[in-house]
Amino acid sequence: MADMVNILVDGTPIAVEKGTLVIEAARRLGIMIPHFCYHPKIKPDANCRMCLVEVEKMPKLQTSCSTLVAEGMAVRTNTAVVEEAHKSVLEFILANHPLDCPICDQGGRCDLQDFSHRYTPTKSDFLDVKRVFQKEYFSPLIDKEMNRCVQCLRCVRYCDEVIDAKALAPIGRGSRTEISHFTSHQLDCEFCGGCVQICPVGAFTNRLSDYEFRPWMMKRADTVCGYCGDGCTITLQSREDELIEVISSFEKGRNSGDLCARGYFGYQFVNHPDRLTMPLVRQPDGRFEPTTWEDVLPLLAERFTQVKLAYGSEAVGGLITSRGTNEDLYVFQKFMRLAIGSNHLDSAARFGHVNAVEAMRRVQGTNRWTVSYEDIVNADCLLLIGTQITWTNPIAGLKVKEAVKKHGAKLLTIEAMQPSIETTSNIANLSTTHLTVEVGRHPAAVHGLLKAVFDEGVADNHLAATASGYVDRTRAAVSALPYPEGMDEATLRTIARTFAGSRRGVILIGQDLLQSPGGYEASVNLMDLLLLLGKLSEKGWGLAPLTEENNEQGAIEMGATADYFPGAASLDDAAARTRIASAWKESPPVGAGMRMLDMLEAARSGKLKAMLIVGENPARTLPASAKPAEALGRLEFLVVQELFLTETAKLAHVVLPASSYAEKSGSFTNSEGCVQKVRAGLEPLGGSRPDWEILSAVSVLMGYPLEYGDAAEILKEIRAVIPGYRVLGATPEPARVDRPAMDRYVGGGFAEDMASRYRATSNITQDSSYPWSLWVGQSLFHSGKLSTMAKGLLEIQKEGRLYMNPADLQRMQLAEGEMVTLTSVAGEARVPVGALGRIPRGILFFPESFKEAIAGLLTMTPDAVTGVPYHKQQRVAVHKT
Amino acid sequence: MLIEPYKDRIAEILGRYPEKRAALLPLLWLAQETQGYVSEEAMREIAGLLDLTPPQVFETVTFYSMYNLRPIGRFHIQVCRSLMCALVGAENLLSWIDAKLGLKTGGTTPDRMFSLHQVECLASCGTGPMMQINDEYYERLTQAKVNRILDDLRRDGKSDLASGPFMFPEPSNKSSESSCRTN
Repeated sequence: MADMVNILVDGTPIAVEKGTLVIEAARRLGIMIPHFCYHPKIKPDANCRMCLVEVEKMPKLQTSCSTLVAEGMAVRTNTAVVEEAHKSVLEFILANHPLDCPICDQGGRCDLQDFSHRYTPTKSDFLDVKRVFQKEYFSPLIDKEMNRCVQCLRCVRYCDEVIDAKALAPIGRGSRTEISHFTSHQLDCEFCGGCVQICPVGAFTNRLSDYEFRPWMMKRADTVCGYCGDGCTITLQSREDELIEVISSFEKGRNSGDLCARGYFGYQFVNHPDRLTMPLVRQPDGRFEPTTWEDVLPLLAERFTQVKLAYGSEAVGGLITSRGTNEDLYVFQKFMRLAIGSNHLDSAARFGHVNAVEAMRRVQGTNRWTVSYEDIVNADCLLLIGTQITWTNPIAGLKVKEAVKKHGAKLLTIEAMQPSIETTSNIANLSTTHLTVEVGRHPAAVHGLLKAVFDEGVADNHLAATASGYVDRTRAAVSALPYPEGMDEATLRTIARTFAGSRRGVILIGQDLLQSPGGYEASVNLMDLLLLLGKLSEKGWGLAPLTEENNEQGAIEMGATADYFPGAASLDDAAARTRIASAWKESPPVGAGMRMLDMLEAARSGKLKAMLIVGENPARTLPASAKPAEALGRLEFLVVQELFLTETAKLAHVVLPASSYAEKSGSFTNSEGCVQKVRAGLEPLGGSRPDWEILSAVSVLMGYPLEYGDAAEILKEIRAVIPGYRVLGATPEPARVDRPAMDRYVGGGFAEDMASRYRATSNITQDSSYPWSLWVGQSLFHSGKLSTMAKGLLEIQKEGRLYMNPADLQRMQLAEGEMVTLTSVAGEARVPVGALGRIPRGILFFPESFKEAIAGLLTMTPDAVTGVPYHKQQRVAVHKT
Repeated sequence: MLIEPYKDRIAEILGRYPEKRAALLPLLWLAQETQGYVSEEAMREIAGLLDLTPPQVFETVTFYSMYNLRPIGRFHIQVCRSLMCALVGAENLLSWIDAKLGLKTGGTTPDRMFSLHQVECLASCGTGPMMQINDEYYERLTQAKVNRILDDLRRDGKSDLASGPFMFPEPSNKSSESSCRTN
């Protein structure tokens, strides 16, 4: 290949790509050149001088971390001169390093310790006073011991280049340089833990595990994080069945070692003292009585059978969290469909992801992305619509940052938060073109984009020739629309033009779009956009919906929603039914399944008599005005499998203790469709059991044995039931657009709902009694209710605040932390306020994980097509009282 | 508040550079000039103006010794302690200042009039011992000259013994200098 360069490292030839660093070329040969400041994730800085090597024909030693390979270069890493240089540099570094390895948490996995062993410098010629920094309290989660610092600035550079938070800075000069936040303030940042992970010594350590361990004492298990849909590989490090810390090794997994606050500091819910450890059965007096599995399992089988016999299978419904493994989800739906005999089942993917999946199935015939993270990193243009990516899906956000910061990709953002430099990174700060759009108006912005495609004349000519009906009718529909009120036409046109003119582009959509009214139509319309540009089936192009929970994609693919069988096949797909019947040796029930809200309505009306709820908490998740607790309270029999005694579990007749992700094996499927292995790091806590095991045991007693030896056996069956699933691994080929499906859509399928998809959305509603627009969304530090059980995350964010723009706060003459009363048509709430510059004027933001505080305010509207309950926005009034 | 009262000057400084970030040092100067030191609030405001984070501004302030992070006296005395001045008695200079004001390196007089720091070479090696007070140089110092300078400053806010930062070639008018020597 033309762009390969041949060099010799210690006499061994190697060919590497042009632009490779010498240290990297050596590493590929298995030669580790000692270094501190070099890290493949960040730009070379060559400040530590540790990686000096001899290069033939160069007069002096060179830093291998900043020297690029050149044709014919001969590098020597092990000569006496090099050795001497390494020793001298190490002597300088050790001159100031304390000898506190025995109490340092890094001991045993410390680069400095390793190199010291290698070069055994037992004496030093220095006679001077050691540099000593006053120990200062740094933050509740990250401890700083500056005396150990080797001043390589990896932390500072990582925080800037990779995370884009810029929360750390080297203070002062020379040997007195100290890593600090702002003056003497304690660290306030996004707490990704990156500085702890990238520090080659023990200058930064995790306070949650301070002095708890020595690295070699810990049991490790590589698994996948259970918070968001990014699917980060993490290593659980445990000791005596207590989770001590979570780390992620460099280059491992889809996240290549990067984590966010939730992943790095959010693990302590696993060993939380409130975890359920025994089955609980409600007594006639209303109390819960702990019992044993031996007693509770027959009870469950008996009661479910009773309800079936008395009212029919249709009187039983099931609901499961999309945080479970694929195996849990699969066994759950099989249990519901066979042991119970009902298609009334749904999962948390109903809260928004179904919108995107339904759109993808319809237009491109896939139920998953046609792109991968690599396509995001390698794109030269990214369009983000309603993602809030740096908070909701931080690691997918890092892929976007990498594309923009490292490869110079253009970033177009249509987001609810405006650019503002604050303590956590904000993707809008990196935008080439940004449009601030209130949550709920993203679908209108999508209309504007499509209109701009025609107005800018960037639609694909080929498509216009081959599918003139589709193009003409779409043109007519969007041309009839005005540019959305309050959105700058020029900005929309710039975004459309830039995206159309790029070489490879990916559209990312997220919660703000998918969990708001019009989410389904907007997803279809965005696929129209890709079609009209002629890009939908092009390599590297595609729509990438991000998921809030770790296995929403899996929930859909396992058939754990009302609309689909395993493989996301429609319930009326005869071929799928036959395939499933032959694998299950019994036919799945016919008839449409009730979705989440339908089931609650049926429970309220008395049609549904029993429910099995696995890890889901509708009593909390749905707004109080929808009265979910009242509906569940009418059930004759409610079984809840849970980690904690949640609001929903408190309504149950039987509560079963479930194992957390850290205690079970199986697989998760992330947003991009990677099926990744989940490995147990701990034994199940107390009497808790993985969800599938519980259901399997009940099924046996009900006479429909769904028996599996372990999770791997379930996966084997899943592979038999879902065509093509076998090939999905950690890095599958992204799905391809299904031509026949696309042709069907373009050939006429598009027309079904053309009018409703391109209907002018209502203009900004001005309601003088409720002048503010409140939006309940995910914050960086929490995810659902589970994260509020994690001590570390509570240290960062312990309560919900009503965030508003600082200018609004000032106008209202409010101080941070002051209480205000909110009122809406549904009710009122009292909450403290906070300032956040990225919230636009007139908008209020409240973190979803603490929404109990505002439960009374919210109302809900279900999606007419996909049944998604929209409940994250509300017009409110703010009263200073 | 830095931004409100100095809008025009800030606009002028920002207008000088193609990149916002380049205005960091001049804006820090502006803050120091108007407040006597660079306050936390000023750093936050400047960060906001330049799309930087406060830690990034703090980093820059600590790199340069001429920015003060704490309030200092009205007159900031900086005594050169590099080799040339040391050879001709920079240490004496420190003791003269101490004798006159009771002021040690790093300190500020109780009336917040004078602060004293030692600094590296101020590029006036031919005319040591020397010191810089605020933006003025005072060179070829003797105890009598130091006393007079400090008295002048306390009384009038200025002293005519200031010799300006660039003294080469030396001024041809020797009269002022000889008068000093005879003092």
